[in-house]
Amino acid sequence: MHAISSESLTKVYSDFVNKKLSVTALSDFTINVKQGQIFALLGPNGAGKTTFIKILLGLVNASSGRASILGTQLPNVKVRKRIGYLPENHRYPHYLTGKQVMSLFGGLSGMKSADVKARTASLLKLLGIEQWSKMKVRKYSKGMMQRLGLAQALINNPDVIFLDEPTDGVDPVGRKEIREILKQLKAEGKTIFLNSHLLSEVELVSDRVAILDKGKLLKVGTVDELTTTESNYEIGIANSLTESFHHEAAATVLKFRVDKSIISAELKDTSELNHLIDMLRKHQVEITHITKKRSSLEDSFINLIKREVA
Amino acid sequence: MKLLTLILATFRELFSKATLYVLLGISTLILVGTLVSLSSDKTDDGVVLKLFGNQVSPPTPIEELAALVYGMQTGLAKGLFVGIMLFGVFATAGIIPDSLEKGTVDLYLSKPLARWELLLGKYLGSVAVMFAVILYFIGGIWLGFGVRIGVWNVQFLLSAFTMSFMFACIFSLVLFLGVVFRNAAIPIIGCFIYLMFVDNLLENRETILYLLSDNKIYRGILDGLYYIFPQVSGMQKSLESQIMHKTMEWKPFVQALISSAVIFTGAAFIMRRKDF
Repeated sequence: MHAISSESLTKVYSDFVNKKLSVTALSDFTINVKQGQIFALLGPNGAGKTTFIKILLGLVNASSGRASILGTQLPNVKVRKRIGYLPENHRYPHYLTGKQVMSLFGGLSGMKSADVKARTASLLKLLGIEQWSKMKVRKYSKGMMQRLGLAQALINNPDVIFLDEPTDGVDPVGRKEIREILKQLKAEGKTIFLNSHLLSEVELVSDRVAILDKGKLLKVGTVDELTTTESNYEIGIANSLTESFHHEAAATVLKFRVDKSIISAELKDTSELNHLIDMLRKHQVEITHITKKRSSLEDSFINLIKREVA
Repeated sequence: MKLLTLILATFRELFSKATLYVLLGISTLILVGTLVSLSSDKTDDGVVLKLFGNQVSPPTPIEELAALVYGMQTGLAKGLFVGIMLFGVFATAGIIPDSLEKGTVDLYLSKPLARWELLLGKYLGSVAVMFAVILYFIGGIWLGFGVRIGVWNVQFLLSAFTMSFMFACIFSLVLFLGVVFRNAAIPIIGCFIYLMFVDNLLENRETILYLLSDNKIYRGILDGLYYIFPQVSGMQKSLESQIMHKTMEWKPFVQALISSAVIFTGAAFIMRRKDF
């Protein structure tokens, strides 16, 4: 059973007056997220990431297609007992204290008062805001609000957690703490669905990543799969290349450049790689390492979006 | 439990607003004014009612005093009714639009809470707060009349429930407009117009609006509107009968109950179809 599943999910924001102004926020979107994974959905602004989450949470009605959470077909109110959500730009009632916010959303989750109290104490401690629990949230900083938001999302001990920009406004130390919490939640078997613009953050915690643009799924895979550049290799060498090697290489179709003790090669396939290795060995070049080159998630993301635009 | 949480949250929300304190402040001023200014003197000819020490009624025999007080209380309730309702609408109109704001509604609806439950919780919370305010006000005046004049009109105290019911009917309109327009201004303006003009015109449609045309469709629409909206004027007349210990007309209350239920269901239906 998948934690989250969608099949041909489509959302069109219709403009009944001017049809041209209708917007397709999500188009034929099919995705499966396994339980216990940290799954990240990436995409430029307006890609449809938040729309997807909102359909899953019943905040937006899908135009067509199907979706399910933990095997329950959506929309379904009861399944939300097992869901936690931290929205982007959340607004908590400013007249409440941190503790009261937890009590409100714990109560709305159908929890017993004693359970809410116990869970509030442990979560506020975990998120490092227990000392401000009796302060009105109107006085909270952005980072404190974000921590409170995460605590609120976890109040009902959910199995699936949706986090929209969870580290927004949080300082680097806080971000690291949140990363650790996410890893801990994953270890407990929770499924975490992440929307974030901080690709470096996503890269550090996510098991699988999907890239979405203009409502369409462009690519989905592990971080490794998305960041590995198939044809690029880095070969470390201990001694410098000889003139004869350069002569022989010039006669081939191999593309590479040398920077001190590193050869960066752009090769079509592994046979070209083997050919290059054979040549190096033939010219008594000692190879220290061979690495498949990897781009950052950010580079992969930008390249993919650029390609799509082109 | 979830509904109770919402009701308590609405209590907190309303008590965080200055408008409610203004309403409570004005109520307290009127209460204190009533307690301080009202007094009675027994004379050979009967009891004389005094306001700030000045005689405001002719000597009334003891057995007729109650009727005189009932009349005064009816006048007071009639005069203050619209004020309480309008101030109540003003204090509570923001409850629904605030809950539907981006960033807030997401938090509510991501919980195992149906949309109609959110509306119902907010509705009941607002009505409960207004009931508390009305009970404080009416209860205070009832106490004032009892202590200062010795007339304990239970029907006047019970009118707090009637007024709260009337507010609940009016608030269904506020809720509907709040869901449709997602701002507080339109429900306030809409209710003011309804309470000040539309309700009276519809109540007296046969003597005023019918004169404009004898077209059957036109008159049918007027009759339809009369039955669609809560009949506040009709209920107001019954409220007066209640305080005066006369037979109450229940028809407007039944109509208002059905009308409010329909309006609430309409709001829930629109809410269900909305994207947030």
